Amino acid sequence: MRDSRLSASEEAVTDGLLERDGLLAELERRLDLAAVGAGSMTMIAGEAGAGKTSLVNELARRAAGRARIMIGGCDPLSTPRPLSPLLDVISDPGSELGDLLEESSDPVRLFTEFLTRLKGTMRPTALIIEDVHWADEGTLDFIRFLGRRVGDANALVMCTYRDDELDTAHPLRMVIGDLATRDAILRLSVEPLSIEAVRTLAGDTWVDPDHLHRLTGGNAFYVTEVLAAGTEFPRSVQDAVLARVSRLRPPTQRVVEAVSVAPRDLSILHASALAGARPTHVDEATNSGVLIGTGDRLRFRHELARTAVESSIPTGSRLDLHRRMIDLLSEETPADLARLAHHAAMAEAGELVAEYGPLAAKEASIRGAHREAVSFYEATLAHSSRLSADQVAAIRFDLGLELAIVDRQAEALEHQLLALEHHRGTGDLWAIARTLVSLGSRYWANRQTGRARESIDEALEIYESLDAGEELAFALYVSATTFMLSRRRDAARRDVARCAAKASEVGSDRVSRLALLTEGTIEIVVGDPDRGIELLREAYERSSRAGDDRAAVIALGMLGSGGGEARRYDVAIEALEMDIKRGLELDEDYGVAYSRAWMARIAFEQGRWDDAAVYADLVAEGPSGRGSISPVTALGALGRVRVRRGDPGARAALEEAVALGEGGEMQHLWPPLCGLAELAWLEGRSDEIGGILEWVFAEAMRADSEWARGEVGFWMWKAGVIDSPPDRAAEPFDLHMRGGWREAADRWHQIGCPYEEALALADGDTDAMLRAIEIFDSLGARPAASMTRAVLRDRGVDNIPRGPRPGTMANPYRLTGRQAEVLSLMGEGLSNGEIADRLFLSKKTVEHHVSAILAKLGATTRARAIAAVGGLLSPQDGGTPRIE
Amino acid sequence: MPRYVVERTFPDGLEIPTNPDGASVCLGVVDNNATEQVTWLQSFVSTDKTKTFCIYDGPSPEAIRRVAGLNGLPVDVISEVRVLDPYFYVGAAS
Repeated sequence: MRDSRLSASEEAVTDGLLERDGLLAELERRLDLAAVGAGSMTMIAGEAGAGKTSLVNELARRAAGRARIMIGGCDPLSTPRPLSPLLDVISDPGSELGDLLEESSDPVRLFTEFLTRLKGTMRPTALIIEDVHWADEGTLDFIRFLGRRVGDANALVMCTYRDDELDTAHPLRMVIGDLATRDAILRLSVEPLSIEAVRTLAGDTWVDPDHLHRLTGGNAFYVTEVLAAGTEFPRSVQDAVLARVSRLRPPTQRVVEAVSVAPRDLSILHASALAGARPTHVDEATNSGVLIGTGDRLRFRHELARTAVESSIPTGSRLDLHRRMIDLLSEETPADLARLAHHAAMAEAGELVAEYGPLAAKEASIRGAHREAVSFYEATLAHSSRLSADQVAAIRFDLGLELAIVDRQAEALEHQLLALEHHRGTGDLWAIARTLVSLGSRYWANRQTGRARESIDEALEIYESLDAGEELAFALYVSATTFMLSRRRDAARRDVARCAAKASEVGSDRVSRLALLTEGTIEIVVGDPDRGIELLREAYERSSRAGDDRAAVIALGMLGSGGGEARRYDVAIEALEMDIKRGLELDEDYGVAYSRAWMARIAFEQGRWDDAAVYADLVAEGPSGRGSISPVTALGALGRVRVRRGDPGARAALEEAVALGEGGEMQHLWPPLCGLAELAWLEGRSDEIGGILEWVFAEAMRADSEWARGEVGFWMWKAGVIDSPPDRAAEPFDLHMRGGWREAADRWHQIGCPYEEALALADGDTDAMLRAIEIFDSLGARPAASMTRAVLRDRGVDNIPRGPRPGTMANPYRLTGRQAEVLSLMGEGLSNGEIADRLFLSKKTVEHHVSAILAKLGATTRARAIAAVGGLLSPQDGGTPRIE
Repeated sequence: MPRYVVERTFPDGLEIPTNPDGASVCLGVVDNNATEQVTWLQSFVSTDKTKTFCIYDGPSPEAIRRVAGLNGLPVDVISEVRVLDPYFYVGAAS
């Protein structure tokens, strides 16, 4: 029986779709653009029941002929199924993407392959992803991936979500924030219906439109439910839904109840089986408009209706429905583990949660949905009484690994410690050692470096007593890495050598590549940098060839950060640029932030302070991924730029960097602490430097980093706390502290650190000091320049140059001052090498400036760049650009 | 957003004609500033026109320096400031 009065009002909303013309026109326009290769993503927000689904369905209906339609949705499961919408889409036979299912174990490859299928197609694709406020972490990665690349695909991606359900910590917010600045991303909002629209819908029914509008707030779903409910006003949308259901025959109501316990939809077969109903009852459910049939599946018209019905089922019956649902689902292959785990939890069936939870967690982890993996494990642990103590310990170990990935380090440590306690009780030495090795990393992440060392040492001892093979080799790798991180050279070298020997003895290619990587890193930061660079390059090549992308990326990162720390800038910048490019392609936000932070630090040291600030801003604004190391490095660089320029905010940035790095390794804290020391020196508070550097000086003396010893020692020496260089200080600092200012300046010049060069010259004779002032001025280092001028004046030197002459007019190409300088020298016909000499920069740095200049001018050659500016930049005073 | 005073030196004196050309120079500055979310509030110019004290709202000193670069303006000193007026403490005393 179909009530004609109801259907009239329903059609007015779903088919006529009141007040959505503007939104539809915009979506259709975007689909037209997608057809010609200008794809975009639309985030469609609205409260539950606002009509988001109706909107995208209407778009799909209108576009059916000219576009390929793909629809996927996220489920309101207690823990969502990883990549559910994408798997929906590719397993739909109509999508002709079924072959991609084979890729589904590697999310990045799956995303990449999916994207290529959206490009260069005859018809554009309209991809609808519904209810992304319920998205799992893998799906959020997918949306971020698509959002960053959809611009040149033949696709319009539409994501619907409930914006009123996003609290400030909701992970979708971060994705939307990450994508916010992109041109290809549009945000639309589906607003409540106006009183006029409600009046149209109410038509000539018994309902008072004003009352209806007030009651429902213009919520489209609520309005239709009230109109469909009958003859009196329900108190809530739930009451409206239930009033409608109550008019159905009892077996039909059971069908509706069965479908209500299945998030999203249920097959007709299962629904009939659960309800003990016949086909006529299924027909009644759909004819009444309570359920919708698509293919062989049934679902509610809206999630609000589903939850209304679900919550009205008496508890006993509901638990029973969930249990019987598990029986039906467990017979399917492949099993939908997330759904099984959901029903097991809803049925309060502990033994089933324990059975399906860990399986669902492992599947989630493989698909990159680590938050969901954590949640499956946690749900499993809530029923730990159903598990053996061995099982609980195994789950705690794995949970610890997943928690570490989602950066919940304290809990990760706690769970693995409980696992260790269990293994100690049973005396299973292999399990104890394996847990201890992992605990080494957990302790380190929790900044308990002493405990980390104890765990690893104990693990090594156990493995040795067991005469272990690859396990011991791997533990030695972790040990060597930990020593490297604390910059302990001899111990790190010893363990990496043992690791390499053991790995080759047991024939483990994987561990021997890791050994090579670690040996290279040790050499570059505390040993022989040339050898380190060679080993890391070899490690990169070998790992790439072996298809071990992770190790290859680590090798690049180490060439970048280790090369930076050793002030081997050319090597470092090349590796960091490769790493950033690769990371952006693969959405490895942590890696991108890490490499950008190092670019900021290097640019600071090279005197490219505008660039340093831009990189630091990118780290601060962009997603930094997990962990706080990158912000420490980036803020340190930014703070030090401000110190040297005499700009405000220097102390705040440095103190924030130090606070973020508190309790961590000396290697991250030495630069911002040296920045605070330099600030004190420039402000005439040198007596405070001993206190500022006390801790880090002692740490640097315990460690083997010559650059840390050199720089920290240098500021201690400047403040008069020490009067000779510490042992094994880096060469240029050492020369300077021994009074060899000229040799130090030459050395800094070769390395490419103009500010340090000028600091050395400022401790020289009058000519050297004048030269120092010139360099400080060209860098914009006002405090150091004034200080040096004051010293010269005290010595009675006259004719000290007053400072740089400023530019007078706008620079239309947005070149930085340094770039304009390089360009004017290019105009004089100087080679990069000659420009490098003239400006006290390394040749590599000049090359970077030249490519930036070409990019800004849109020129492909030097000659074109020079021609493009014609006479605009005056080549003479090597200073600032000027329009003639 | 923090507020900054930017001191600048113009050894040859700052000359912005009070005509359409001058207005267009100033509007160009405003457009450039907008690229970095920097707002130029007002400036004080020394009577010999060799020094200016310019008041800006902006996200960071680096943003102030970047737009100065775009505008071809010199920068001597940037100070972060707060507003204080003669009535600032009225009420606080009672």
